[in-house]
Amino acid sequence: MSAQRTVRITINGSVHEAEVEPRRTLADFIREEAGLKGTHLACEHGFCGNCNVAFDGDTVRSCLMFAVQADGHAVETVEALCEPGGELSALQQAFTDHAAVQCGFCTPAMLLTAREFLRDHPGETDERAIREGISSVVCRCTGYQQIVDAIRSLAVRA
Amino acid sequence: MKPPPFEYHAPDTVEEALGLLEGDDTQVLAGGQSLVQLLKFRRIRPAALVDINSVAGLDAIEPADGGLRIGALVRQQRLLEDDLVAREQPLLREAARHVGYPETRRRGTVGGSLAFGAPWAELTAAAVALDATIELRSSSGAREMRAREFFLGPNETALAQGELVVAVRFRARAARSGAACHEVSARHRDYARVVAAAVVDLDEDGSCLEATVTLLCVAERPYVVDCTDAVRDGTDVGELLDGITPPDDIEASAAYRRRVAPVLAGRALRDAAAQAGGEEVA
Repeated sequence: MSAQRTVRITINGSVHEAEVEPRRTLADFIREEAGLKGTHLACEHGFCGNCNVAFDGDTVRSCLMFAVQADGHAVETVEALCEPGGELSALQQAFTDHAAVQCGFCTPAMLLTAREFLRDHPGETDERAIREGISSVVCRCTGYQQIVDAIRSLAVRA
Repeated sequence: MKPPPFEYHAPDTVEEALGLLEGDDTQVLAGGQSLVQLLKFRRIRPAALVDINSVAGLDAIEPADGGLRIGALVRQQRLLEDDLVAREQPLLREAARHVGYPETRRRGTVGGSLAFGAPWAELTAAAVALDATIELRSSSGAREMRAREFFLGPNETALAQGELVVAVRFRARAARSGAACHEVSARHRDYARVVAAAVVDLDEDGSCLEATVTLLCVAERPYVVDCTDAVRDGTDVGELLDGITPPDDIEASAAYRRRVAPVLAGRALRDAAAQAGGEEVA
């Protein structure tokens, strides 16, 4: 075991502080230290994208970063997406309306990745561009079409 | 799997980083998109990691001697977004398009990609194709090396223990120059089975001064082919590739790579020549 370090990360606007080993990943910090289980782990090697979170505003793989590297930084997880009163955001509602959720495992990462795609490509309705935009997150149920439709509905509305 | 334990250092200066890298069994942690995988597979168990993400002065994209100098910590995604890169070395942009996903490119660095020397790494192809110079530093001094000599084999480079890639330099392009990068992979954005990067320089009259194709995954090292005469005469590049010795591995058979290499080389050359000639290439 290597020396523990104090790590302080702002997650969804709240500061979470814990003593962790340097090998603690950001994903595990979010799930275990901060107790936020919406960030899902599947492959844990950067291939599947299910652990995607926003790190200082941009989406990254939280399984390929160490918590010590996020010390003093800001992270957003899927728990930040709903409205303050707990209602679904427009993006979450679109996923619901288009049945873009099947088993739900990839949904948190899909939502965060879709949010970023819509931010970076406002009004983009081209299906290929949307598919490229979410290509880093693996979904094993939906076949992606409903997810693409949900994202496209917001681009059309924009 | 979870990574094995390691000591963690996060220096602020290159000098401090180089001092820490003198230790036995230390590894540089930059973007972590390859290193953390290897740690989790427990393929490597370094005693210490030197995280260079806070090191000042390694993340500039700047003009240098008429060309372009890119710091080791420049994130791969910036190659897609930077205007100077688009203007001076569009091949870097073309190559970076094939590197992972936005999420991994935002962390993954140019220096990290070069230092890993993955056999399919598109930035390796670009650096070799453009005959770039890699700047290396250690606590005992600085040296430079041509990319064409730096890559020794799959995941093997001339980087010595304790040495850090600090930047990569590209010479000025010819006045009329074009470049293109093509690849095939089994799945969208997966590791490439073969990569081809072409550079074509034309003179003022539009005739070919120099044309090369750099291929990855067709030999032990990046494979550079002089295609100047083929472009001049409009002949097929296939026979120029007779000397390739592609590997047979889990990504593709040697026979498959033999079939695909000339196709990709031809496409890359065609697009590079069209771009050099002033045509828009989709």
